[in-house]
Amino acid sequence: MNIKIPNAGIVLLIGPSNSGKSTFLLKMVDERSILKSEIASSDEYRQMVGDTDFIHWQQHSPDESEVLFQQYHQLSSEAFQLMDAAIEARCRLNKTTFVDATHLRDEDRKKYILIAQKFHVPITAVILDISEETLLTRDSERDQPRGKKRIKQQFQLFKKEKRTIKKEGFNKIYYLNEEALDHAFIERGKHPLYIEADQGIDIIGDIHGCFNEMIALLEKLGYEKKGDDLYTHPSGRKFLSLGDIMSRGPSSLMTIHFMMKHVDAGLAYMIDSNHGWKIARWLDGRNVKLNHGDEKTAEEIDGWLSILNPETAQYERRKIKEFLFNAPSHYILTKNSLPVLVCAHAGIKDEFIGKQSKIISDFCRYGDTDGFDESGKPIRKDWFIHHGNGQLIIWGHDPKPQPLQINHTINIDQGVVFGGRLTSFRFPEKKLVSVPSLYNYAGTENNPLIEWEKKRLDPPNIANYIKGYTVQTERMDKVKIHEDYVKPAIDLISTSAVPLEQLVYIPPTMSPVPKPSKKADFLEHPEEAIAYYRQNGIETLIAEKKHMGSRAILFIFKDEAASMKYTGLHSLGTIYTRTGRPFFNKETEERVLKKLNKDLHKAAYFNKNKTDYLLLDAEIMPWNLKAKELINNQYEHVAKNAKLGRFYIKRQLEESKIEHSILAKWQVENETKIGNAKRFETVYKKYCWEVFDIENIQIAPFHLLAHSNEMLIHHPHEWHMKMNEVLSTISSLFVQTEYKMIQTEADENDVINWWEEMTADGHEGIVIKPNKFISENKGKLLQPAIKVRGRTYLHIIYGMDYLLPNNLSRLKERNVGKKQRLALQEFTLGIEGISRFVQKETIERVHECVLGVLALESDPADPRL
Amino acid sequence: MQLTIHASGENVQVLSYLLAKNPDNPYERSIKGHLVRFFYQAFDETNVKATIYVVPDSIALSRTGADAYDITHYINDREFAVSSIFLSFIRSALATALNGQPKEEYRQWVNHDFDFTFSFGPVSSELSTGDLVNLFEPLGFSMTIDKELSNKSPKYITINGKTTLQKGLRQLFILIPVIDNYKHYYIDEKEAEKLERYGEGWLDNHPQKPFIIKRSLRFKDVYAQLEAEKEPAQLPAAKRKTRLNDLRYRRIVEMIETNKYKSSIVDFGSGEGKLATKLGFINGVQEILAVEPSERESLKAVKRFSEASKDESFIVPQNIWGSLFYFDERLKNKDVMVLCEVIEHIELERLSKVMKTILSDYKPKLLIITTPNKDYNEQYSLGHSLRHADHRFEFTADEFHSWCKEYAQQYRYNIFIDGIGEEVDLLGSPTQICCFQRMEGE
Repeated sequence: MNIKIPNAGIVLLIGPSNSGKSTFLLKMVDERSILKSEIASSDEYRQMVGDTDFIHWQQHSPDESEVLFQQYHQLSSEAFQLMDAAIEARCRLNKTTFVDATHLRDEDRKKYILIAQKFHVPITAVILDISEETLLTRDSERDQPRGKKRIKQQFQLFKKEKRTIKKEGFNKIYYLNEEALDHAFIERGKHPLYIEADQGIDIIGDIHGCFNEMIALLEKLGYEKKGDDLYTHPSGRKFLSLGDIMSRGPSSLMTIHFMMKHVDAGLAYMIDSNHGWKIARWLDGRNVKLNHGDEKTAEEIDGWLSILNPETAQYERRKIKEFLFNAPSHYILTKNSLPVLVCAHAGIKDEFIGKQSKIISDFCRYGDTDGFDESGKPIRKDWFIHHGNGQLIIWGHDPKPQPLQINHTINIDQGVVFGGRLTSFRFPEKKLVSVPSLYNYAGTENNPLIEWEKKRLDPPNIANYIKGYTVQTERMDKVKIHEDYVKPAIDLISTSAVPLEQLVYIPPTMSPVPKPSKKADFLEHPEEAIAYYRQNGIETLIAEKKHMGSRAILFIFKDEAASMKYTGLHSLGTIYTRTGRPFFNKETEERVLKKLNKDLHKAAYFNKNKTDYLLLDAEIMPWNLKAKELINNQYEHVAKNAKLGRFYIKRQLEESKIEHSILAKWQVENETKIGNAKRFETVYKKYCWEVFDIENIQIAPFHLLAHSNEMLIHHPHEWHMKMNEVLSTISSLFVQTEYKMIQTEADENDVINWWEEMTADGHEGIVIKPNKFISENKGKLLQPAIKVRGRTYLHIIYGMDYLLPNNLSRLKERNVGKKQRLALQEFTLGIEGISRFVQKETIERVHECVLGVLALESDPADPRL
Repeated sequence: MQLTIHASGENVQVLSYLLAKNPDNPYERSIKGHLVRFFYQAFDETNVKATIYVVPDSIALSRTGADAYDITHYINDREFAVSSIFLSFIRSALATALNGQPKEEYRQWVNHDFDFTFSFGPVSSELSTGDLVNLFEPLGFSMTIDKELSNKSPKYITINGKTTLQKGLRQLFILIPVIDNYKHYYIDEKEAEKLERYGEGWLDNHPQKPFIIKRSLRFKDVYAQLEAEKEPAQLPAAKRKTRLNDLRYRRIVEMIETNKYKSSIVDFGSGEGKLATKLGFINGVQEILAVEPSERESLKAVKRFSEASKDESFIVPQNIWGSLFYFDERLKNKDVMVLCEVIEHIELERLSKVMKTILSDYKPKLLIITTPNKDYNEQYSLGHSLRHADHRFEFTADEFHSWCKEYAQQYRYNIFIDGIGEEVDLLGSPTQICCFQRMEGE
């Protein structure tokens, strides 16, 4: 007899002692049908806990017998507790376990049926039906005979129970008599939910009867129509539907037929879904309420079946029904035999993956619902929050305007039937490919995409942030934001920042050279920055002259209507600092924005670039525009104090009538310091000029971050520099940035000379970046930019005496590790935030990134770096 | 940072013993890397002049502030100005003189008056010349300022008078920190303890004693000082403002007391918790949520609440971190929500979204809003400026009325508008208040 065992679950052997359970299992182990570790034997567990598998109590005096009986009872109870715990663990891990015990009493069997249900695994019964004589003969031959009386009792019990086992809830029962047992062998089932995906699988979101869009998408993916109307891919790829292929849209029946044909031909897969399940039950004649477009599907099917002859109609009806009923709750794609990706319609819990049960099917169809809100809509719980087993989950069901990537899950239902897009996720390439909807078939009422757009600008829910949170980025990086730093960031947003709808990006902090200069009298030098990138395999670098100004983000809209659309605010945009505060006072900002807007329109910038806005990362000069108070209160005051103090020391020393060599030494020392104080004064004064009119303001953009139709940061820095040239011809407010490309060693020397020249008279320095905006080495993100500040300039950072050998040697011990880490995390968050904004995600999701950068910035780091 | 001591007249050479400094050798000691130097410029029978100065280790100084993550903590005048830091560096070098403990045979000179001139600088002080004179003159010194570019510039001060070395130095050790314009960083708290010892015998009779003590102990209540700075200075009558605040609170409390539903109250922008504390004593209140985004304010509120909770009837408000720009589920469906002097801190344009969140999501049964009456500003002679630098707008009575009416109609609330504070003809009251009462059955 052929015993089919599913890929996982419990197999309960049932039969009295001596029926041959252990013998059969050991034979199977010898035949390599099962693993030794798959057997859970009560006898072995008794030995494990009590050193023996049986205690004879019968041939003793009554009081002795009672003691021995209790001993055996206790031994058995301990053994079963341990064994059952092991079986539960195996079920949790989706393993197969053959349970070797008599299982004669119904409560013994019931226990395992409940375990199987609890862990969503199948349970099979294998009943060994052996005659009483054989049992008795075998017993007398064994080392520790159980005794005739006991065997007879067991056999009676077995005979009685055998009849009812059928109704107990086993998924499958096998009866084996002596002869059958001799010829029985075990056939192991393959995992029914695993799909080998090494050839490539294209996962397709909810189609909802949008047949034309589905064909357009398949063609875009490279599938070709063959003579037999089947779409195949030249490189052997297959497609997988996330379900909900029908209802609401125009061609549900065609889509069903198409999918059925391809699944039958082994060219496609489809999983179960809420609409599919509803239609299947309707086809099965059950009493279901057809709504949400299912009534349209039913109409289509009925219309078609009514023109067929009754027999064919019945056949076709059953075919569709079975196709839908047989769709599994989810599929798992394997790459190199590893289960790396899960497809589920509405979602799945980690502990359900790879298992099947009614509960799991329900969950995968509807997701995690948590009752209903006041208006009767289900309140969706975010099941993906708890996901964390490393597998990527692709799901649909809940339409989002853009593929939503959260916590290693991607929603690819972009509401094609609601006028959105039909999306596919290509595996293993991990690429998203989509086609637009041809028409909004579902109309505007209860349209989730329209609802989403309405809610896009809703105030962010503070509960998402306040206890600390982790941002999961598109690049699959995680950035953890600690609670302690979120709070000051929320304070900032609430009291002094520009409106959070406009605050879509905060520039990252920038690390200075990772190592101090090898040169004796330099703290920073370009050599170390270049070496960092060279060591990380970067070939083309760019060196940009650093402006001595203040960092600013400019968000410039085409017109007020555009601002209204993207931010819900009437304005032409905003200009803010790297802490999110308004850069100018209201009046100046308005004037600057008006002028920029006018100049950009004159150059037809918005029309040419087909954009509603321009998001710019820039430096605004002069420095004292922002830092006037800092200069007056700090630098000027410090310079005056130093000069006065050192001047008086000089006077006192010179006045002294006492002759002593040490006084002469002190005088020389003080002369140096007077020189330092004077130099300090000239350094900071260099960067300040009075601003009487906005025409004195200079804006030097570093990068164009985004247009409304695309992010611009995938362009290399050289492109950004060229764009800056263009901008500088558009408006007198924009100025160019000097830069040099670095490829050869000659370029390196050229840049070093350039740096030395410009910094000699106090210029701040340069920034060195890899030409590619986002650069990695072996999967690790590299510093997006490194600043190299001039030797003279650093006086105003590290103090007027920093170059004194004793000071410099200690400053060289500075640690930039934290600064580098923050720079990377903030860079990652910055890109993610812009990406979310451009993709029109909710302001809550954009704000998550912005708040994250501000929170990281409230983590104290040495501001001199 | 330096101090020059100059004495003239008979017997001045004994000063070398009082100072315990050899006139032939310059003195140099390192205190945690900062070099303290002492040398004589003159040493003859009628003239002794010596200078003590410090070459601070700028790197070590800048390391001290662990919480200092602002560049101004690194580039600052502490390295140069005479201050308590300077004094702590030179104290041990001048210990013999300060303590009046020279060798036995010179003890008699400890209490001897000499004709002294002390000069020191740079002095970083916002005190006026008059203020400075008032500090030194009662002690018998005449004062000159060698250099005065502007009020804010560093000064070099010289004082002259007959006194003992010990007393003169002790007076300087107390008065230098009083004059110095320090912020709260880099201050040795022990400085304050010296006040009593060094002030012995002269401080009690000094007409500026309260001022001296207050300035000396600034460090201890640096937070109190910051708070004082925060109060808007431009309002002409601070007294009136305090009263107005109280009137406002009283009116809000009355409104809530007479309201049918009052078991749960949200105080938005609760600040340091003054209003929330008053709400905690209202009969029938069971829950108060004090919403505030600032940690500093919240900490003060917590302190205030725990103070009040000594009274058993007090319902302790719960601090909630947040603001009107975020949505917070915990604030939904409460009986009362109060926005006391809050809306004027929000850009008018952003206010519509805020009001939508309040009236359509939070849906309090009663919403109380107070805000300044712009018409009344005439009474303060404010011209075109608003009452507070952070006010983004202020409503005239008419504007407030029509603004409230618009939201009341849109979200089905009844409104009642009134004034708070002394009413002036044509101008109305300084504060306006509006109660939004949700229509029954909504």
